[in-house]
Amino acid sequence: MTQQHSSRSRPLQTLVGAGLVVLALCLAWGASSVSSEAGYGGVGPNFFPWVVSIALLVCGVLCVAHALTGGFRDLEEGSGDERAHWKGFLWVSAGLLLNALLITTLGFILSCALCFVLSVRGFKSSEDQLDLRLQAWIKDSFIGFAVAAPVYWMFTQLLAINLPGLTNTGWL
Amino acid sequence: METLNHLMQGFATAATPINLLWAFVGCIIGTAVGVLPGIGPAVAVAMLLPITVKVEATASMIFFAGIYYGAMYGGSTTSILLNTPGEAGSMVTAMEGNKMAKSGRAGAALATAAIGSFVAGTIATVLVTFFAPLVAEYAVRLGPPEYFMLMVLAFTTVSAVLGKSTLRGMVALFVGLAMGLIGIDQITGQARYTGGVPELMDGIEVVLIAVGLFAVGEALYNVMYEGRVDETQNRLTSTHMTRQEWKRSWPAWLRATAIGFPFGTVPAGGSEIPTFLSYAAEKKLSKNPEEFGTTGAIEGVAGPEAANNAAITATLIPLLTLGIPTSNTTAILLGAFQNYGIQPGPQLFDTNGALVWALIASMYIGNVMLLILNLPLVGLWVKLLNIPKSYLYAGILVFSTLGVYGMRQSAFDLVLLYAIGLLGVVMRRFDFPAAPVVVGMILGPLAEAQMRNAVSIGEGKWTIFLERPGSLTLIVIVLAVLIVPRLLRRWAARKLALA
Repeated sequence: MTQQHSSRSRPLQTLVGAGLVVLALCLAWGASSVSSEAGYGGVGPNFFPWVVSIALLVCGVLCVAHALTGGFRDLEEGSGDERAHWKGFLWVSAGLLLNALLITTLGFILSCALCFVLSVRGFKSSEDQLDLRLQAWIKDSFIGFAVAAPVYWMFTQLLAINLPGLTNTGWL
Repeated sequence: METLNHLMQGFATAATPINLLWAFVGCIIGTAVGVLPGIGPAVAVAMLLPITVKVEATASMIFFAGIYYGAMYGGSTTSILLNTPGEAGSMVTAMEGNKMAKSGRAGAALATAAIGSFVAGTIATVLVTFFAPLVAEYAVRLGPPEYFMLMVLAFTTVSAVLGKSTLRGMVALFVGLAMGLIGIDQITGQARYTGGVPELMDGIEVVLIAVGLFAVGEALYNVMYEGRVDETQNRLTSTHMTRQEWKRSWPAWLRATAIGFPFGTVPAGGSEIPTFLSYAAEKKLSKNPEEFGTTGAIEGVAGPEAANNAAITATLIPLLTLGIPTSNTTAILLGAFQNYGIQPGPQLFDTNGALVWALIASMYIGNVMLLILNLPLVGLWVKLLNIPKSYLYAGILVFSTLGVYGMRQSAFDLVLLYAIGLLGVVMRRFDFPAAPVVVGMILGPLAEAQMRNAVSIGEGKWTIFLERPGSLTLIVIVLAVLIVPRLLRRWAARKLALA
């Protein structure tokens, strides 16, 4: 049996629909805590949240119904492979999340260079060309630095926009 | 005559060395993001929004507009040489242009695309120059009910009509509207959906959503699913058109401009539809229909590319005169205006006349710059396609960080950015359109305010929307937009079944 394309999978589609229903319920719960004080108009700040929650609820239920009865309608399969490549995804996620964690301590340039290096590992691994040798790490670190540093300098020196640095010099 | 005076003053502002430099840099960045797969004008403008903190309004709007229409020039290069359309608007170009490139006429295809873009862009700019003030003059008379219905029209077309599935379009729209709800209510000052997180009080930045969905989402999708997709690049040939090719391109450019421009002006957005229409028209009128889809017909590139550019330029009319964005990028441009405390709308021509006219004038200049950047220098841009994918996407992630972090200096935003990126992957995988999210998010709060003002004017009665002829007309149009395409489809299906 050939593998089924993951965007056609019934459980996954149902999950997406269910996620929408949950989101709609959360929005409705939030809407119920917004005051309805309407002033002159007759429409208060809670009206629009209710409209959005109810509309999303209807859409979510319809999505679930479609998923269970033959799948999403007029679906164009997501391009690329049938299955996700999780290893590459983990590398890139690590890069992005570490960046969020470290940007204030390491500064923009070093933190972004790290994000760059880890992301390159991820993309290479999804191309089956993961290279974990030291020289590849060093090479990519240099490239990452060469990408991040000029934009940092352009923002901090030329445009005087504040970005965090390792030092207070505005250069690193 | 008054218009010409304003335009001349605009040229005086736009032609100062510093503004020329901004326009030039904008055109270069625009062409680059158009050429590079995985990043489009919306993301590029979003990433650079932090400059609005320091750079003066006129200069940065000239810069952003340069990126916006510059990307349309660059996009054709990629779709002709790689057959991967950079954005939806160059899908048709990718079909026909790639056929031409395969039969060794890549140069001619690139030339007709660039010159066609120039012709259409320039004609469309002339039309904007003369029509925008007229629309603004008329739009002053619109009240909140009409504005609200205009926005509903924009919502309807962007979500229900343009995508393949109305349901998934609506989902995307309401997710966007929900994001727009986060923060302080404009009218009563109440906090909504902030959950006590102080970072959420100001709402979510549109930069974050756009960069998250389009840049981070795209990068994550790519690493998860497209690692093994191989792309073959067609060979570049000299960008020379024969006399015969000129003769076949001219009428296509002009027809396409006539098709594309109206589509851009109505709040029904999207540059895909006019490109398809133009393609169909050229195929029907061509003396060489056998070339379409086989060896590649030059009209099939010339038309859609020109239509694309005309529509893109025309989207500035609803943006500037009504404050209604009809595409991703114009939604973000609206965000840029808001960062300066400027609300585009009919009064814009009075309150910020100098800015608007400088912007329009800069578009004439920018189109000339782009023609030069894209015809003789096309070989340079093609080199960008040699950047390995891993470096390209890793670089995009660094720039995403720059844009999002530079906006508010909050590490919390970077975590949120990752979450929105994941949302983008799910949406892309299950064929949910992304544009309605961005448009819904930025237009939602404005629509809500107009709606509540309208009901206030009606002293609490909803019938206000039916009592005013303007808003009633718009309701009818919204219903027509929802119903007519369905009837046509059913009618076509029945005809097919009979035949």
